[in-house]
Amino acid sequence: MGYSGNNDPQFIIPTCIATRESPANTGKSGASTNLASKRGIDDLDYFIGDEAVANSKTYALSYPIRHGQVENFDLMEKYHQASIFQYLRCEPEDHYFLLTEPPLNAPENREFTAEIFFESFGVKGLYIAVQAVLALAASWSSSKTEQTLTGTVIDSGDGVTHVIPVAEGYVIGSSIKHIPIAGRDITHFVQQLLRERENSIPPEDSLEVAKRIKEMYSYVCPDIVKEFKKYDSEGEKWFRKHEFIHSVTKRPYTVDVGYERFLGPEIFFNPEIASSDFLTPLPEVVDQVIQSCPIDVRRGLYKNIVLSGGSTMYKDFGRRLQRDIKRMVDDRIKAYEITSQARLAEEAQIKAKQMEVNVISHKKQRYAVWFGGSLLADTADFYSYCHTKAQYEEEGPRIARYNKVFGSIL
Amino acid sequence: MPAYHSAFNETDLRSIGNMALLPIKTKIRGPAPTSLDPAVDDIIDEAIGLFRANSFFRNFEIKGNADRVLIYLILFIQECLAKLQKNPSLIEGQRTLATHAVQNFAIPGDSNFPLNALYEKPASRQDADNLKQYLSQIRQELAARLPAKVYEGDRPSKWWMSFSKRKFMGLPNVGTQI
Repeated sequence: MGYSGNNDPQFIIPTCIATRESPANTGKSGASTNLASKRGIDDLDYFIGDEAVANSKTYALSYPIRHGQVENFDLMEKYHQASIFQYLRCEPEDHYFLLTEPPLNAPENREFTAEIFFESFGVKGLYIAVQAVLALAASWSSSKTEQTLTGTVIDSGDGVTHVIPVAEGYVIGSSIKHIPIAGRDITHFVQQLLRERENSIPPEDSLEVAKRIKEMYSYVCPDIVKEFKKYDSEGEKWFRKHEFIHSVTKRPYTVDVGYERFLGPEIFFNPEIASSDFLTPLPEVVDQVIQSCPIDVRRGLYKNIVLSGGSTMYKDFGRRLQRDIKRMVDDRIKAYEITSQARLAEEAQIKAKQMEVNVISHKKQRYAVWFGGSLLADTADFYSYCHTKAQYEEEGPRIARYNKVFGSIL
Repeated sequence: MPAYHSAFNETDLRSIGNMALLPIKTKIRGPAPTSLDPAVDDIIDEAIGLFRANSFFRNFEIKGNADRVLIYLILFIQECLAKLQKNPSLIEGQRTLATHAVQNFAIPGDSNFPLNALYEKPASRQDADNLKQYLSQIRQELAARLPAKVYEGDRPSKWWMSFSKRKFMGLPNVGTQI
């Protein structure tokens, strides 16, 4: 969270909240623990974010957002309250708020959220944006792109990777695909490789070491076999050493870093090497997603493939993805040309127009969604897209069901 | 992108059963034609080169008879690395691999050969003998070349030994009796 117009978020905190009541208590007597019944001083006795994690010994820790969806609106209200007053330190009555939601969020959730923001905090205005659309907007910072709201967003975080097609600001819900390969799987794979080779890593640190190596050294290679040869011939240039400090004994130890540098991110392109249940490579999934979209937007979707999220930040990730998708598309066009040529006379030459495939990587990938939001909320038009308090009082939470698309901004 | 295939699939060559009889650069006698140009990679160089990448794959689509030779060699490298687990010195290692190569081993069609579903049984007694000699030849040549790659100084390099526990196509060995 942060203020619009900034380049980076001011606060990055986990969405967890630590409250006084024990988790068993909240489950059983739901009616008596709701907010209305206890407006005492103990009501303010809770922590959010990193403070909540730090206090998890004496407080009950819970995560109000699961799988991107709010599950407990009571706790979420407390969470918002702390984030507005403790972290952002602002008067909600003076501000417009931009919130984000995952694709395929239920409209009821938007209503609940609007209720919280307008009734409890009395905000001036509210806009609920789809994360994928904001990620598209964030890519405008890269000079290569024209500013459109049509494109395919590849959002890869820690747990799951989404491929989301967006046409003119609208998410094409029926074509969204999820891939169960993301940052965590890379970490586990790196950990496995290290375990097979290094014996200097203490087992209690191995996850941490794998994470650090993944974050610091990983990159995407064009071809694994060639990469292995490169390591054979110019070892000094590619093998690295990293010094770690044992978490308990504080004794330093070194770890050699080698093939996992390119094998880690490779599982996006060859999932077979790490998992046995999911075998479709990322470029193929992207291609399937776009092919399942309406035919008139496909060209736009291929032309503007935008990366977002921490697990897409590996060096050359975009380039490899673009190459693989381009290859697939070109093959299909060629096959199409041949089959349609066969049905025609010799003299009628068929030449399909080349499909333009562009994968856009930019500097803001990591917090792309936040940055996109910051960008849009900074425009003068933003206020006209928001639902205002007056509108809410006139019509009720219903208005939050629909949020205008930013399409006409440009 | 699936696993890597042999570059020799396209070449038109004689086969025994459905394993291609490929030329190799070797001084060991056997039915394989010798290739003379030392600069060109033969199937054995190829297998050593592809081993580390392919050992991650559990599925492999056979695209030609040369691929069968490649699979055989990759599985054999796996066996060799398992032999080097005890961390022998270079000379010891070379000796271990050389004896391992001439160990009693299974050929396609034998009951203890792991890939009988994919490999054809040789048609005649004579073919079977030929195949046995051919396999023995490529095994010995590979065992001779492998230490140069795997050893770093006088000990097997950990960059190679970390692959010894991988199971290409989910198979631990190619049916060598130990």
